[in-house]
Amino acid sequence: MMPLLGSFCLLFALALALYCFVVGVLAAVRRDAVGYRLAETARRAGMATFAAVFLAAAALVYAAMTNDFSVAYILHHSNRALPGPYKFAALWSGQEGSMLFWALLLSAYGFVLRLRHKVDQRLVAMASMVLAGIQVFFLVLVNFVANPFGMMDIVAADGNGLNPLLQYPEMVIHPPMLYLGYVGVSVPFAFALAALIMRYPGEKWIHITRRWTMVAWLFLTCGISLGAHWAYAVLGWGGYWGWDPVENASLLPWLSTTAFLHSVMMQEKRGMMKVWNVWLIFITFMLSILGTMLTRAGLVSSVHAFAQSSIGSWFTGLLLVVFLVCLFFYVRNRDHLRSENKLESLVSRESSFLFNNLVLLGACFAVLCGTLFPILSEWVRDVKMNLGAPFYNKVMVPIGLFLIFLTAVGPLLAWRSTSWGSIKRNFRIPAVISLLIEIAVSAMLIKNGVRFWTDTGQMYAMLAFCLSTLVIATIGSEFVRGGLVWKNKLQTNLLAGMYQLTRRNMRRYGGYVVHFGVVLVVIGLAGAAFNRDKEQEMAKGDELQIGHYTLVGEEYTDDDNANYTSHAALLDVYKDGKFVTRLNPEERFFKASGGQPVHIVANHSTLSEDLYIVFEGFSNGHPMIKAMINPLVNWIWIGVLVVVLGTGMALVPNAALVTAQVPKAAAVAAMEEQGMHPAGAGK
Amino acid sequence: MSPAVLDYGIKMFCCVFAAGVLVYVFLPTRDTETGVDKTRVAYLYERKDVVYENLRDLNFEFKSGKFTQEDYDGMRVGLEAEAARILAEIEMLESVKA
Repeated sequence: MMPLLGSFCLLFALALALYCFVVGVLAAVRRDAVGYRLAETARRAGMATFAAVFLAAAALVYAAMTNDFSVAYILHHSNRALPGPYKFAALWSGQEGSMLFWALLLSAYGFVLRLRHKVDQRLVAMASMVLAGIQVFFLVLVNFVANPFGMMDIVAADGNGLNPLLQYPEMVIHPPMLYLGYVGVSVPFAFALAALIMRYPGEKWIHITRRWTMVAWLFLTCGISLGAHWAYAVLGWGGYWGWDPVENASLLPWLSTTAFLHSVMMQEKRGMMKVWNVWLIFITFMLSILGTMLTRAGLVSSVHAFAQSSIGSWFTGLLLVVFLVCLFFYVRNRDHLRSENKLESLVSRESSFLFNNLVLLGACFAVLCGTLFPILSEWVRDVKMNLGAPFYNKVMVPIGLFLIFLTAVGPLLAWRSTSWGSIKRNFRIPAVISLLIEIAVSAMLIKNGVRFWTDTGQMYAMLAFCLSTLVIATIGSEFVRGGLVWKNKLQTNLLAGMYQLTRRNMRRYGGYVVHFGVVLVVIGLAGAAFNRDKEQEMAKGDELQIGHYTLVGEEYTDDDNANYTSHAALLDVYKDGKFVTRLNPEERFFKASGGQPVHIVANHSTLSEDLYIVFEGFSNGHPMIKAMINPLVNWIWIGVLVVVLGTGMALVPNAALVTAQVPKAAAVAAMEEQGMHPAGAGK
Repeated sequence: MSPAVLDYGIKMFCCVFAAGVLVYVFLPTRDTETGVDKTRVAYLYERKDVVYENLRDLNFEFKSGKFTQEDYDGMRVGLEAEAARILAEIEMLESVKA
C-alpha cells in the first residue's frame, strides 16, 4: 500500500516542481500584475513539493520498518534482523533511496527559502525558479530512472540486508550530513545565478546566502569528519583518510566552499572579485553534483561507492546543462560583474584572500585530477591507472602548509595595504611564542629518541606544528588586543572584554575560532608522521610489545546472533608495567551479506596518542592481532568540534551596539541646542 | 484492517492530499505583494553602510594597536573618499528624482 502512496507523491511532486519552474520563468518574463500572481502560485507550488516528497520518503521508511519486501529497494537494502536505526538508514543506503533523499533535502531547503521570500521577493522568486529546475531533474530521476518504489513479482521471506560496512552508528548520520552539505550549496548557487540573470545590483544576495553557505559548509565538514571517524573505527587500517575517490568527492565542494566563504568578504567589503565569486559558487555546485555522481553512479572504484548504475549519464547531462546555462548568463551579463576597486598592494588583506583562494582552488584542481585520473587514463590509453596516497601527499601537504601560513598572516594584514611597520608590530609576539613552542617540542622529541630531521614526513610535521602554533598565537593576539579595547571602554576585566568583542562581531571572531579548530585538526594530522605499528600471532597468554605498551592475550570468544557471527579477543593493556585497560577487538561476519567480514576496532584513546588494536582473524589457528600507536589523533576530532563551535558562533547575529543611558534633561537640552525636537513632542 | 480497505484509504488520502495542495496553490490571495526592482540608489545606500562599517572596523583595529598612525591615516582617507563619492552620487540621483 505504501508504494502506491510513495509513487503517487513522487509523481505529484514532479508536477508541482515543473509548475514552479515553468510558471516561474513565465512570471519572470511577464513582469506585470498577472505575472506577480503567477509567481505567487509558483512559490506555493514549490513549497508544496516538500510535503509531497516528505510523504514519499515517509512511505519508504515505513516500508523498511515494516519489512515490506514486496518493494525491491527494501529487499535489497534491509532484512528482518537489521536493527531499527539501520532500517531507517536504508532510506539513503542505496541509489534509489539516496536520490529520493537528495530530492527531499532539496525540497526542504526550497521550502525554507520560499517561506522567507519577503527578504527580497523578486530575487527569491528567481532563485526559487532556479531551485525548481534542479528539483525537476531529481524528481525525474526518482520517478523514471531510479524509482525507489519498484515492486517485486514474488515477495521474499527476508531481505538481502544492509551493506555490513554501513552497520555502524556513525553511518546513520554521516551520509545525511554529507547530503545536507551537497544539497545545501544549491541555495547559494540558485541565488548567485538568479542575481546574475536579473543583473541584481549590489551584494545583498551574498548577505542573504551567507548563512546558507555556512550551514552547507558546516554539514560538509561534519559529514567528512564523521566519514573519517567511521573509516578509522571500521575499516581497520589505522587511518582516517585514504584519498579514496568518494572521500575526495566530498572534499572538492568543501575546498571550493571554503574558498568562497573567504572571497565573498572581498566582494562585501570592497566590491571586488565579483566574477570570481559567481564562478566559485557555480563550480561548487557542479562539484557537489559531481560528488553525488561519483558516490552513486559507481564511476570510479571505491570502498565507498555503494552503487553501480547507469545514472552517471544523467548527471553528466545535468552538469553540462548547468555549465552552459551559467556560461550563457555570464557572457550575457558579464559587464554587470565589474569590480569597484582594484588590488592596491600585494601586502594586504585582499591579497591574502586572493592567495588563499588560489591555493584552495589549486588543491581542488589537484584532488579533482587525481580522482578523475583513472577515468581519463582509461579513456586515453585504455588502462585504468589510479593515483594513490603518495601523489596526494606530495601535492597536498605543501599546499596545506602554505594555507596554514596564510591563516596565520591574513588576519593581521589591513585592507588595501599594510606597511612593514604594522607587520613587525603584529607579528613580533606571535612569532616569538611560536618559535619557543617549536623549540620545546623539538627538545621533547629528541629526548624521546625521534630524529625528525632524517624523515621528510616528520620534517613536514614539525613545520605544521610550527605554523599551527603561529596561527594560535596570532588568533590569541587578536582576541587579547581587541579585548583590551573593550576592557578599557567598559571598565571591566579582559575576559569580559573579549566576550564583548566577540558578541559584537560574531562572524569575524567565530571565524577565528574556526581557524583555531582547523589548526587543531592539522596538529592531529601531523601526528600521523610518527605512527608505529606491529602485527603478530597472539595465543592466550602471549605478549605484544609496542612503544610503552604491553598487550597480553587473556581470552578469545565467539558469538552468534541473528544479524552476525563474531570472533573477539580480550587483551589486557599495560603501560610501563602498570595495568591500563582491557580491550576487546572483534571481527564480525554479517549473515545476510554472505559472511562479509567487518573489523570492530578496539581503541585506547588519550590526548597524546591512540593505542589502536585490530583483530585480523586467524593464522595457523592462532588469532592475529595488529597494534598501532597513532599519536595526536584525538586532536582531529577535538578540532572538528571546535570548528563546529566556531561556525555556530559565526552564524549567531551580532549583539546590538552599546547604548548609554543619558538623563532626560541633558538629552532634551542637547537636542534643543541642535534645534531638534524629541520624538512624539508634536506641535 | 483488510488490504482492500487500506488500499481504498490510501487512494482517498492521495485524492484529499492533492486537492488540499491544489487549493493551497491556486487559492486567490488579496495580499500578493509584488516587491520592487532594486534601484541604483538603494544599492548605494547599502554600499554606504558597508563603507561606514569598514571605517568603524578600521578605527577599532587602530585603537587595538594593529596599525601604525601612517597606515591608519592612509586607509582612513581612502575610505572617507569612497564614502564621499557614494554620498555625492546618492545626492545627485535623489535630486534628479525630486
